[in-house]
Amino acid sequence: MINRRTLLKSMAAGVGAAIGSSMFPSLARAATGSSGGPKRVIFFLQNQGFDPATCIPDGMRTSGSLANAKLPEPIAALEPYKERLHIINGLHGLHTSPSHSAFFGALGGYRGSDGVPPAGPTVDYELSKVLPPTLLPHLCIGMDSMENMKGKPTVANLSASGAGQPIFMHSNPNHLYQMLYGGISEGEIRRQHEARSSMFDRIEQLASANGGALHGAEKQRYGQFVQGFHDINGLRERLGTVAGHLSKFAPKVDDRYTKPAFETDWHDVLLDLGISALKSGTTSVLTIGSGRGEIFGAWKGLGITEQGHNLGHMKQPDNPIWIKIRQYNSRMLVRLMEQLESVPEGSGTMMDNTLIVYTSNNADKQHTNGATWPVMLLGSCHGAFKTGRFTQLDGKRPINALYTSILRSAGVQGDRFNMSEQLAKKFDSGSGPLKEILA
Amino acid sequence: MNCLPLTLLVAVMVLLTPKSRAAERYTPGEPVRGKFQDFAQPFLQKHCYDCHDAETQKGDLSLVNLGKVDETNASLWKSIWAQVTLQEMPPKQKSRVETVERLRFSDWIVGELQRVMKDKGGFNAHLDPKKGNFVAHHLLFGPLPAGIQLQPTASPARLWRVTPQEHITRLNELINTEPAYDPKKPGLRTHGDAVPVNHGGELKLYFGVDNILRWEGGTVAYATAVKSVPVVLSSARKSGLKNYPDFNSVNSAEATQILGKAEDILKFMAYGPLSLVGLPEQITADPKTYDQFKPKGDLRGLPTAIVYSPKVLRPLTPVVDLMKENESTDARLRASVDYLFEALTFRPPVAKESDNYVQIVKDAIAKVGHRDGAIMGLSSIFLDRDALFRPELVETGKPDRHGRVMLQDWELGLAVNHALSYLKPDATLRQAILAGRMRTREDVQREVTRMLNDDSIRKPRVLQFFRDYFDYDLAGYICKDTKALAATGVSTRGDAHYRAMFDATASTDRLIEIILQEDKHVLKQLLTTQRVVATRTDETYFGTRLNKAEQAAAAAAKKQTDLAEIQKLEELKKEIAALEAKLKTETRNKATQKALDQKRKLLAAEEKQPEDRKPKRKRGGSNGGVAEADLDGPQTYARVGHRSFGTGSMKPERTLATAPAGQRLGLLTHPAWLVSQSDAMDNHAIHRGIWIRERLLGGGIPDVPITVDAQLPDEPHNTLRERMRVTREKYCWTCHQKMDPLGLPFEMYNHAGLFRTTELDKPVNTTGEIIDSGDPKLDGPVSNALEMIKKLANSERVEQVFVRHAFRFWMGRNETLNDAPVLQAAHRAYRASGGSMKALITSLLTSDAFLYRKVERAEPARASGG
Repeated sequence: MINRRTLLKSMAAGVGAAIGSSMFPSLARAATGSSGGPKRVIFFLQNQGFDPATCIPDGMRTSGSLANAKLPEPIAALEPYKERLHIINGLHGLHTSPSHSAFFGALGGYRGSDGVPPAGPTVDYELSKVLPPTLLPHLCIGMDSMENMKGKPTVANLSASGAGQPIFMHSNPNHLYQMLYGGISEGEIRRQHEARSSMFDRIEQLASANGGALHGAEKQRYGQFVQGFHDINGLRERLGTVAGHLSKFAPKVDDRYTKPAFETDWHDVLLDLGISALKSGTTSVLTIGSGRGEIFGAWKGLGITEQGHNLGHMKQPDNPIWIKIRQYNSRMLVRLMEQLESVPEGSGTMMDNTLIVYTSNNADKQHTNGATWPVMLLGSCHGAFKTGRFTQLDGKRPINALYTSILRSAGVQGDRFNMSEQLAKKFDSGSGPLKEILA
Repeated sequence: MNCLPLTLLVAVMVLLTPKSRAAERYTPGEPVRGKFQDFAQPFLQKHCYDCHDAETQKGDLSLVNLGKVDETNASLWKSIWAQVTLQEMPPKQKSRVETVERLRFSDWIVGELQRVMKDKGGFNAHLDPKKGNFVAHHLLFGPLPAGIQLQPTASPARLWRVTPQEHITRLNELINTEPAYDPKKPGLRTHGDAVPVNHGGELKLYFGVDNILRWEGGTVAYATAVKSVPVVLSSARKSGLKNYPDFNSVNSAEATQILGKAEDILKFMAYGPLSLVGLPEQITADPKTYDQFKPKGDLRGLPTAIVYSPKVLRPLTPVVDLMKENESTDARLRASVDYLFEALTFRPPVAKESDNYVQIVKDAIAKVGHRDGAIMGLSSIFLDRDALFRPELVETGKPDRHGRVMLQDWELGLAVNHALSYLKPDATLRQAILAGRMRTREDVQREVTRMLNDDSIRKPRVLQFFRDYFDYDLAGYICKDTKALAATGVSTRGDAHYRAMFDATASTDRLIEIILQEDKHVLKQLLTTQRVVATRTDETYFGTRLNKAEQAAAAAAKKQTDLAEIQKLEELKKEIAALEAKLKTETRNKATQKALDQKRKLLAAEEKQPEDRKPKRKRGGSNGGVAEADLDGPQTYARVGHRSFGTGSMKPERTLATAPAGQRLGLLTHPAWLVSQSDAMDNHAIHRGIWIRERLLGGGIPDVPITVDAQLPDEPHNTLRERMRVTREKYCWTCHQKMDPLGLPFEMYNHAGLFRTTELDKPVNTTGEIIDSGDPKLDGPVSNALEMIKKLANSERVEQVFVRHAFRFWMGRNETLNDAPVLQAAHRAYRASGGSMKALITSLLTSDAFLYRKVERAEPARASGG
């Protein structure tokens, strides 16, 4: 039988399914209380590592308030927002063996490496199942060099819905726009959207007609296949029926989509599309992979001529190149916060119910063993998360504990995420959420 | 690690019921009807209440208040079903249950659970391959008690979803030309073999890598720059039989991704590497010519870093012609549609299907133009039902008096094809289907025999059976704790161990193929062969972990040798000095000059020798303290994937060697299997024991009750055997006695698969015992794994259990009592042919179970069991 849970599960990895009728802020707001816990979560993973020296204020060695601290140059853009910032140093990911990148292991909390399939679901996917339902619960976007984004517009390196079940991230903003806003678009995008819609309707009809002779369990199982098309068509139709609502949030398609000068033009519009999906209430979990979880990437639009793996071999602290990349990340974080603040929700704004997790898919640096895995959290979610702080942990709790904490804040009980008790004996000095981050 | 709780491991008394059911008739497959009060309660009263009434409550369980099956007591009824079906309950010494009475009670519970759970997720536990052994072995291979009436067998009409591996192999056919079979180099990846996993164990489709002439950067840069897509269809099962038809469907996320990848595939089919590059100059026979065009800067990891050969290496299909032109003709459109339809569904489309897809493509072209529209429209064929599922629906045949219809024509032809191959039917089979020569048992016999005897027709399904049966292909996915791995003696450098394990899987595949090629006593050979297909790294993995004393002795011996070498050199130098001194006084003494020259040469040679003797650095070898095995032998090859990791990709070269005598015996003693049945820190004796119990002895083990959450104690200074003492608690041991003593003999290997004689500096205890095997000749203690394997390999029962597993794999379902004649015939065929896998497969594929389908009718309304 197709139930709501199955639908949610099946849709999160790609497009989406039908689940209820009103999942937009205008209506969802009524259900939004101020009891704490996120309504949406954003994961932002920069590749090549996140050196703690680029985010810990000078002189801070121990945990404490950020109130009187000055944020380092790479993240200085967050200075006005530091009362909602929590810088956490001292988590570890030794068991994920990151080296160049932990790939799926970064959000999964398990061993990952190039070419290694995901060993289980990742935290972003798990959250998308339990946060207030939306049409497209989980959206992944990936930023890379222009030619990689054009040549391989979808790759799967960071998120997964289960063992061996990778979730693809979108890197071509034109394709993503068509998926989200085809119904309200014009010109070529509109034509593409209509052609695809008509084809999917036809596929659904053919699939439906082919199931006529089936009985019992076979009919039910084949029904899931037909239902899949129904879900895809249903999502499109529902997005179509709320076109008026979506049009308020859809970004304007400009030359950056069709004639980008640099890859950063596409990075910017991908972010805009992600923001629009959050603001319109289409999506509750956004995963952003800057560098797409791999060890390359380019930021020529920032005036950085070097690209790829060389960036990873450079030391990050006081490095003008890495300062530029981190500043660019920080500006994106600010843009996310400003945009979500602009939409009222409950008695406050969407940002009040949003948690942003900023880190790297590669712990602190290139060729790392994962002993230090810095993270920045933004947003208190009505006091559910401690903010305005720097926390130095003792390096004995894994990134899984952070994910357990976030899941706990979203109402998921459980003391461990993707970590057996046996493994925990070795890699986790504690159990349950991190008391240092949950209020 | 878990144990069984008290609840269901205790027993019962005998009470007379008002009415004995033992004499009743039983027809397997026919529903057993009856109300709880009239049918089940008397059984419980007679056989269970003695121990499980309100007073005795053995195992804290009283069944007195257990009522009819409902949603809340379903899990208890499921446990009762397992205990009674496996003949664990009632205990033999307490109460005797007649076979028919037991079978009827078991079927009644299943029927009731199915009825009650119908809208609550259903009840399908009895259909799971893990429960295949719930059918008592002696009833399948021995005489049936009176009262059991078998019916001619058939399998249900059904749809099989293609497996991830089949799907990716099908897609790979569209864009890559795999090499033809070379009888001189058997083992190399060949057209028709399954697409192997890459260097990290991921199943991926690679685009245009055969055309790559040059790239920039190292192996990771290569892996990032090439175009590849991971498999889209999912498989929820990691071990055992993974491909029953009812396991999977296709969800919306998968459908969307298939469509996205279809467009990439179609573009590559049309344009080749041109669809992958940023600059057309990247396609050149002379990579140097690209240097003047390539973008400045560091290109590592970027598609522009790659130079492709202009040679056409992809298959040329009608899609090329269609996309060459600026507009399409009906003929070209139809040619592409028909070609793709057959490539993806393995059969030609009927006229209506062809028309439907031509129209879809035309509609898309009308909206977005020829090129985009053709690609978009053609991609829809990738989502055709028959591109993702293989139907066995027998929609047109007339049922016989047992309600069975025999597969015919394309359904039969594709069923036979699928039993062996991942490719579409070859020309001979295709012609036979089209000419109406795939309609009888003889037709099947003819085609199966032909296909089995032709090595150039690759049979990845046969190999997949052995992977599913043995579970030797999981080793690379077992995440090892670095420190614990280092303690085994193998290298922990980078991903060396994991790559060694993926190599070991490929090597084991090859060893199995060699044994299948000989086709004599196949199972026995697999269990007892001394042969090994090996890489250089395997010299460590098949080596012996030295204990402390041995390591010290080895170090001392080396020191001694080094010292002797130094002394020898000193002596030589002294002699040279003496000769030189002599020459100063006797300048023209030719004999002295000659002697000096000889000594100098000798010195130079000796000084050079230590360099030569230095062990060659090899990837993934030992980290010290290992006596390596000598695995020299003739060269052979193993199947590895497309170049996926630059120069670091997996290599096919292997040796066919002999494993160290007295240390290894067959697949179960190879690191691939041993590591597959291990965990991060140590061996997994319980998994190994369960494997022996289920796959060789045909025993069943009830599910671990959810109330049990036992863990082995974390005691680094105790051996695994010592830590497993917790399973000997009374309430655990009832089950664990059937697995632990079968797994512990493998303690003669450490958890990377190296042979050892000590554990924690004490002699390792490798004893075990076979109990309750069903064959009294097998039961008894064993001193180590080798002794146990020898016993098992000579057992007829073990052979029969192997046949049962083969039946499950090829029929896609668990056996029932009605399948007893099919199983017996298959076993006879195997024995009569001297242990031929070909004979076994042919027998199974020409059986009623394979040929006939029973169409599921609408279920008649059932009386409530309450």
